[in-house]
Amino acid sequence: MEKKLERLKKSIWVFHLNTGSCNGCDIEILDALTPYHDAERFGVKLVGSPRHADVLLLTGPITLESLPKVINAIEATPRPRIIVALGSCGSGGGIWHDTYSTIGGVNNLLKILKERGIEVDAVYYVPGCPIRPEALLYAIALVKGLVEKKAKSKVAVVE
Amino acid sequence: MNPVKKIVKPLEVLVIAGKTGKVTVKYPFEEPLVSPEFRGKIEIDPAKCIGCGACVNACPPNALEMIESEDKKTLRYFVGRCIFCWRCIDVCPVGAIKGTREFELATNDPMDLYDYIVHSKVVCEECKHPSSETARMLKYVWEKAPITENYNNKCPECRKKSFIKAVASRRAGPIGEKA
Repeated sequence: MEKKLERLKKSIWVFHLNTGSCNGCDIEILDALTPYHDAERFGVKLVGSPRHADVLLLTGPITLESLPKVINAIEATPRPRIIVALGSCGSGGGIWHDTYSTIGGVNNLLKILKERGIEVDAVYYVPGCPIRPEALLYAIALVKGLVEKKAKSKVAVVE
Repeated sequence: MNPVKKIVKPLEVLVIAGKTGKVTVKYPFEEPLVSPEFRGKIEIDPAKCIGCGACVNACPPNALEMIESEDKKTLRYFVGRCIFCWRCIDVCPVGAIKGTREFELATNDPMDLYDYIVHSKVVCEECKHPSSETARMLKYVWEKAPITENYNNKCPECRKKSFIKAVASRRAGPIGEKA
């Protein structure tokens, strides 16, 4: 599986999966594909079907209405499959983390997938509300191994 | 379309493209263009934070949470849920929270998204149980609104009890002796 992930780094095709987002992050994905930022420099291409995709760009807090469709789309993606959770909603539930109609972020989705026996090879979290196009480019570069990871947990103990 | 135009038209486009030049940024390999007003990740200074929880009350998506245990009080910042509104910076009474322009937060490990500040609670002088306050909170309150030393190192419950006792004894003599 490690070897397959290595092979993925040549040119990644992405499927844009909107799971009830406010369209802020979706607009920024389009921004990243414009000539100014040009995500196609890295071989990134938006495809129309999850069957052609390597990476799922997941935006939104995953509403209960969209959950079965999301699971179908993830099941249809060939292995190795990577989920990139975009925005605050995707990576942690955002402002909707405890509402009645969402499951609140990709972490809860992973639990549901694990119960059903669907494996996901890697998950990348991209916080931001909405994400900057640069943040998406940075995440793509991180998937491809071009840049170093900057985020690090800080623990401080006060007396 | 006549064949001459068919050849000339793409050349016109080439001329326009030559005038405009290259617009694509080389982003991951150069500095990003970020305006000074951009709001990014917040940073909490553990040397200044008093653990009062004003930011926890103000945070719209509960990205800042106070996790209370028996004798510890932990302020947890989950950047994966933060909407970067910076309201916590406005409400912090000691100015411990600073805003940065950091947005390159992508990671493949969810634990990288959490920041912790662990405060320990002070022990109440009277009942010897940990009260809900930290030592820095008491110091801050002492500086802003001095209260008598009798009540300073007590938990709110004991403080209430001793205050009622003091008022009652002032009105009707010491309690217990009367009966």
